[in-house]
Order: sequence, then C-alpha cells, then structure tokens
Amino acid sequence: MGSSRLTRVLAVAANTHRETVRERVLYNLVFFAILMTLSGLLVGDLSVQQDEKIVKDIGLAAMDVFGTLIAIFIGVGLVSKEIERRSLHPLLAKPLGRGEFLLGKFAGLGFTLLVNVAAMSAGLLLTLLATRGRADLGLLKAVYALFLGLLLAVALALLFSTLTSSVMAAICTTCVVVAGRFSDVIHNMKQVAPGVPGWFVHALYYGVPNFRVFDLKNPVVYGDPVGWDVLGWLTLTALAWLSVLIGCAMLAFRTRDLQ
Amino acid sequence: MSHRMTNGSAALEVSGLRKSYKVGHIVQKRRLALDELSLSVERGEVFGYLGPNGSGKTTTLKVVMGIVRPDAGSVTVLGSPLGEPAWRYHAGYLPEQPYFYDYLTPFEYLDYSGRLFGLATATRRRRADELLERVGLDRSRDVALRRFSKGMSQRLGLAQALINDPEIVFLDEPMSGLDPIGRRLVRDVIMDLKRRGKTVFFSTHILPDAEALCDRVALLGGGRLLRAGRLDEILSLDVSHLEVLIGWHGAAPADAPAGARDRSVLGERWRLEVEEASLVSVLEWAVARRGRVLSVQPIRQSLEDYFFKELVAVEPSGPWVPRD
Amino acid sequence: MTAGRYGFLLGLPLMVLCQRQVDARLGRWGAWQQALYFWSGEQVKRLTPGFENLMADLYWLRTVQYFGAERLFSTDKRFELLEPLIEITTTLDPRLEVAYRYGAIFLCEPWPVGKGDPEAGIKVLEKGARNLPRSWRLRQDLGYFRYLFLRDAAGGAQVLLEAAKLPGAPFWLETLAGTILARGGERQSSRLVWQRMYEQAEAGILRENARYNLQRLDALDAIDALNAAAKRFAEQQGRPPREARELMAFGLDPRLLKDPTGVPFEYDPARQGFWFSKSSGMWRSS
Repeated sequence: MGSSRLTRVLAVAANTHRETVRERVLYNLVFFAILMTLSGLLVGDLSVQQDEKIVKDIGLAAMDVFGTLIAIFIGVGLVSKEIERRSLHPLLAKPLGRGEFLLGKFAGLGFTLLVNVAAMSAGLLLTLLATRGRADLGLLKAVYALFLGLLLAVALALLFSTLTSSVMAAICTTCVVVAGRFSDVIHNMKQVAPGVPGWFVHALYYGVPNFRVFDLKNPVVYGDPVGWDVLGWLTLTALAWLSVLIGCAMLAFRTRDLQ
Repeated sequence: MSHRMTNGSAALEVSGLRKSYKVGHIVQKRRLALDELSLSVERGEVFGYLGPNGSGKTTTLKVVMGIVRPDAGSVTVLGSPLGEPAWRYHAGYLPEQPYFYDYLTPFEYLDYSGRLFGLATATRRRRADELLERVGLDRSRDVALRRFSKGMSQRLGLAQALINDPEIVFLDEPMSGLDPIGRRLVRDVIMDLKRRGKTVFFSTHILPDAEALCDRVALLGGGRLLRAGRLDEILSLDVSHLEVLIGWHGAAPADAPAGARDRSVLGERWRLEVEEASLVSVLEWAVARRGRVLSVQPIRQSLEDYFFKELVAVEPSGPWVPRD
Repeated sequence: MTAGRYGFLLGLPLMVLCQRQVDARLGRWGAWQQALYFWSGEQVKRLTPGFENLMADLYWLRTVQYFGAERLFSTDKRFELLEPLIEITTTLDPRLEVAYRYGAIFLCEPWPVGKGDPEAGIKVLEKGARNLPRSWRLRQDLGYFRYLFLRDAAGGAQVLLEAAKLPGAPFWLETLAGTILARGGERQSSRLVWQRMYEQAEAGILRENARYNLQRLDALDAIDALNAAAKRFAEQQGRPPREARELMAFGLDPRLLKDPTGVPFEYDPARQGFWFSKSSGMWRSS
C-alpha cells in the first residue's frame, strides 16, 4: 500500500470540490442566468444600439463579481474552518502532508471556479447568440485572464486562512484584492503624492498582486487584438504569484500548532 | 511503501517529551503540558494511557500525530522517527470528540480516507462496507454526517481509524459519548485487534475500562508520568481490605468483632470490612457466635482509589498534580 | 394576535405613509438624487475598480433616459444634469464613442430640442477626439458642429481636413471642408453637411436629427420664396399680406404655404415677413 503525492492532492481536491458543490456554491449560476436573460431582453429597448456591448459588459462584470466573491468567501474557510472544527486532525494522522493538504484545497476550489466560469461563459455566449445572432469567441480571452485573477484571489485567501481566523482572513483578502485593483493608482502614486519615497512605491506595487492586468474586459469588448504572447505572459505572472502565495502558505502552515 | 514494519522494535517509543503552551490573552504565560515524558509500548499489547482531565493525554497523542510540535524530546512509531511518513500507512488515529465533514456520508468519508492511503477502489469500498457493519453504522451508510449523533460520530471515528488495517491504533477517549452498547462494541474491537496481534494505545479517564482491557498502563498527572507498568504490578500491593459476609441463623450478636473496621447489616446478614491481619480473629469470633461465614473476598484498591491517593486537585476545577 | 403580528401589520402601512411624507418634503432634491449619486467620473472610477466599462454603460443608459424624460415629460426643461452625466460616462469609458457623439448633439441642439449649449457640446467632442485619436467620425462631428453651431467655418474646415487624413476616412471630407471654406451660402453648406449626416447615420436619433434639419432648411427656402412674393404683394397692394394664401395669385407653389410639419406659415408683422407658426413644432425665435 502506498499513495503518491498526486493521488493525495487529487483526493483532497476532489473532496473540496464536492464540498463546494454540496454547500450550494454553484447556485450563484442561477442568479447569473436570470441576470443574463434580463439584460438580454431589456437592454436592447433602452440603449441606443449599445445592446451587444452592454450584454458583454454585464456578463463579464458578473463573472468577475461572483467569481471573486466565491474565491474570497469560500477560500478563507478552506483552512481556518478545518482548524477551528478540528476536522483536520484525523486527516493529518494519515500520510497526508500539510503542504499536500493545502495544494489539494487550492486545486479543489480552483476547479469549482473553473466550472463556474465555464458555465457563465456558455451562458453569455448563448445570450449574445440569441440577441445579436453572433457569439464573439474573443471574449474567451478576457474570461481566461479573469480566471487567472480568480486563482490568485483563492491563493491569497488560502494564505490568510492559514494565518488567522475566517473573519480576519476575509477582511485581509478583500483589502489586498481591492488594493490590487488599484495597482495603476499605486504605480502613479509619485504623481499624486510626490513626497512618498520611491522604494516604498515600488515595494507596494510589486508586493501587492496586480489584479488590473488580468482585466481584459475593455480591450476584448472593443475588439482590440489581444496577442497570445500577452496571454502567455499573464499565465506566467499568475504562476509566479501562485507559487509565492501558496509557498508562503505552506511555510506558515508547516510549523503551526493546531488547536 | 508496502513493507510491513517488522523490525522487532517497540511499537511506540517516547523519550523526554516536553510541550508547553502559551496561556492568557494579553499577558501570556507558559503552561507546561508535558514534562519530560518517556514511555514505551510493546508490539501487540493494549496500552492504557490514563490520567484525569488536563493531565496531558491528548497533548501526547497530538504530538505523536503531528498536530502539535514538541518543544523537546523524540518519538518513534513502529521503529520510524516521527518526521518520516512511512509509519503513518500502518497507524490509525481516533481523535477526541472527532468532527467529520457535514456534507459527506460515512461511506464517502471512509472512501476519502482510504484514498489518502492509496488503497485501490475495490479494496477501500469493501473495507468501508465491512467497517461500517462492524461499528453498527451500515444502516446509516448514506445518511449525511450532519445528522449524526455524538455516538454515531464516535463510531465512524473508530471505523476511519481502521480503514488501512493498521499495525498500531491510537484512540483518544474511544468510549466517550457512547451508550453501553457502543462501549461494548469498542471493547470488542479492541480485543479483536489484540487477538490479531495489533497494538492499541488508548487514553481514557474512565478507569474501569482500562482495568478490563489493558495489559499495561501509564498514569499521567500534571504532564508527568507517575507510574507505568502492568496493572497487577501497580495494584498488587494494594489489597486494601477483605469483605466478609456472615449469615446469622438465630439472633445476631449485639456487638461487632474488634478487627472489623466497618459493618453493614443486610437483613440476616452482616457485611464486615476487615483488615487482612485481623481476618482470622474475626472468623473465630463469628464461628464462636454460631454465625455462618458465607464469603471472604479481597477488596483490592481500584485504580480510582490509587488515583485519588496519588494525585491531589490544586483547586476544584483546576489541573490535577501529583501529591508529593 | 402575537406582538410580532401586530408589529408587522401596523408597521407596514405606517412605513408607506412616512415614506410618502419624506418623499414629498425632499422632493426638490429628487432630481439630483435620481440622476447622479456621485459628482465626477474620477470618483466613480475609484469606487469601482475593474468595472469601469459596466459603470459607463449604466451611466450612459441613465443619460439617455434622463435626456428623453426631460424632453418628453419635464415642464421645466433644463437639461442641467446632461453635462455631468456625459462627463462621468466618458471618464469611466473614454472609448465609448456613442456617448461623445450623442452627448454633443443633446447639448448643442437649440432649446427646447436640446440644451442649447454648443460650447459644451464642442468640448465633449474635443475630449472624444483626444481620447479616440483614430476616430474620424468624431472629428467629422467636431468639424460640422463647429461650423453649424459656432459659425466657425475656418475652424470647422481645419478639423475636417485633419479628419480626412485618418485611416478609414471617406474621400468627401476634404471636399466638404473646401465647400465650407468657400462659404457657398451658409444654407447650401449646411444642407450638404446634414445630407451627409443623414446618409451616414444608422436609423435613430442622429438620422432623425439630420432629417429634421434638412426639412428645416427646405422650410427656410420656402420662407424666402414667400417673403419675396410678399414684397411684390406689398408694392402692388400697398399693404403687407395678411396670410400666405393671398400670395397665391403670384403663382406661388401651394406646397410652399405650409411648413414640412403641415402647419401654414404665418405673417409676422414684427419680422415684416413670413415665419413659422408658433403652433408649429419647427418654430424657433430665429
């Protein structure tokens, strides 16, 4: 008898995905479906020939909002809930490393988000097809970038979850995600607040994940070409951040005394 | 990782274990939970780990399982040091007041546990079914765990500790929350494990359970090991007194024998508590008065009495420390 | 009945009543509250990082509704909020071309059709031209509107020439610039401009607007013809005509007697000539 690292990680991932499904996380898709239907029907009558753009904007924004909420609020419970409820204890006695446990949790929630985003994309493309007779597959590039951003949010939530309670982790994660969306403000801080030292601005800019770069909604909706090289670099950036964040989480979690 | 741990070493070796916790919110002090604890458990024995609440039993188990890290000391399980994962394939653990996932069914939980050991699908499903039947949960196989009572969760905890057919099983308060049927079940499981040559290490504060099941025990108090050894060794010196039952045909005498330190009257019978040294004189006294000696029983000091003798409570709800 | 039920049954109508009283008293704040919520595009942008596109859409919808509602329902058409709404929309999404184009129209059109503030409309188009440097359409509008509303033929032609150089620009922009500069009669150039706009625009407010203006130019031509005939009438009869029908004897085309909305022109003594009837939708002071 023996199990490989991958087997164990996948076992935890599968269980985590099952948990999110049974805890009815995917019900948010119902709201999304309603939102898409409504926007598809109503918008055309209201705007001045803007319906296609508006449907795309609503669809992508909803994906962003729902996805981020799930990533943060389910993500912060991934580890802290298990510690608080002590459901982790029987698992650690088995040949499951703490790092494997974390990776499995991350993968499980990541997979749930993938399912969520895929379903929403299908819904959006269907709505576009129904209202304008044309489904723009270029949207999928924005969806992919958005998904990378969501994975980052999960990793952040996971990190804070290993450090503190669910509530504090939720607050911290939300703050960092919001700060990350203001990366352009941080970058331009020198113009707004010249007194701030340069090293501080740099530290802040590179220290907080830049969520803005994963936001390709504007270029995609306006039909700007988004090169595969851009997507490639975004993927690498995401991987780099993921390894930093999950690596930190693993280090923090390894030596921690559980109650 | 499929080799069995057959290298003749002790099942569990603990040496010089120290663990302290910070207590308090603003001003933090260190409280010693384990103080230079050393013990060893032989393969194939049922070892009782005894002590009142707060004595450090659960802390010891948490250190062994890797849930907390000790400040000092070493632990080897089945010959392997704590840090190596190999021994975990051959160990099982039932935590105190276990909590499992609400949204799973017991079968799913056992299946998940089995996956972590790398058991093949058919094997783990078969074992899951067998274990559920063994612990009496086969009819609740597909009931969500959120509906489980404390006793049912405890039984599932026992089942998941055995999913990998372990060589050594660590049970933390296994009888807690169980009705008499459940307790009998746990006893049967432990005896069965012993029969199959497995090692059982279980902690409890219910002494009669330990007396009934254990080959050897360790007594813990205030984080320190007080005594360890065979039960009959620990208690052998402690035949405290004898109980003598005397029946009277006619009228019972008005007085009591000199050697009896206590007397209770049960209808036509007397029950006397007699020191061992005074036994003969009391018997002669009874016979002289035409009493009928019905029985003479040695009353040994129970583990409980031993406990109260050895330990003293510092304050009503505080930790128990050795009396010295 | 339990306390809870009492509370619910009494509270509900009370709540409705109080709400109405509050609404009645705070009514004068209603217009601001209903449209803006925040005063500047930068503010909204800072509050919704990552959702600027969607917010721009929402504000654009709000702008269109506001404009339509003011035009149709408001008795005191002031279009006060038009400029801030357009500013917010275009700050949130600087690439929302439609907001610049329609926004400029809403602002430039003389009151009561629009706000009657051509300078504000031109500013919006200039902002659009800055943010969308490759949009020849925006520059086309900018050139037109400079000429049409600010009477700046030189400036308008200049912009049109710049627009003609942009990729995708149609060939006739240069011709148009030339025509405007040559000032072949202000009305003729105007007619050219509106004709182009009518042909280019998709069905909707831009096209309707162009058609309206073309019809108005036709009406002005008719008025000129009427006034010429009126002058001859006055010389003959020694008095000005009282109504257009009196001019029929001069061989006037009967179609010239009414404006394109079907309302007959009226003689306005103050002008000493014919003009739109005040009951006509085309009436304006000049």
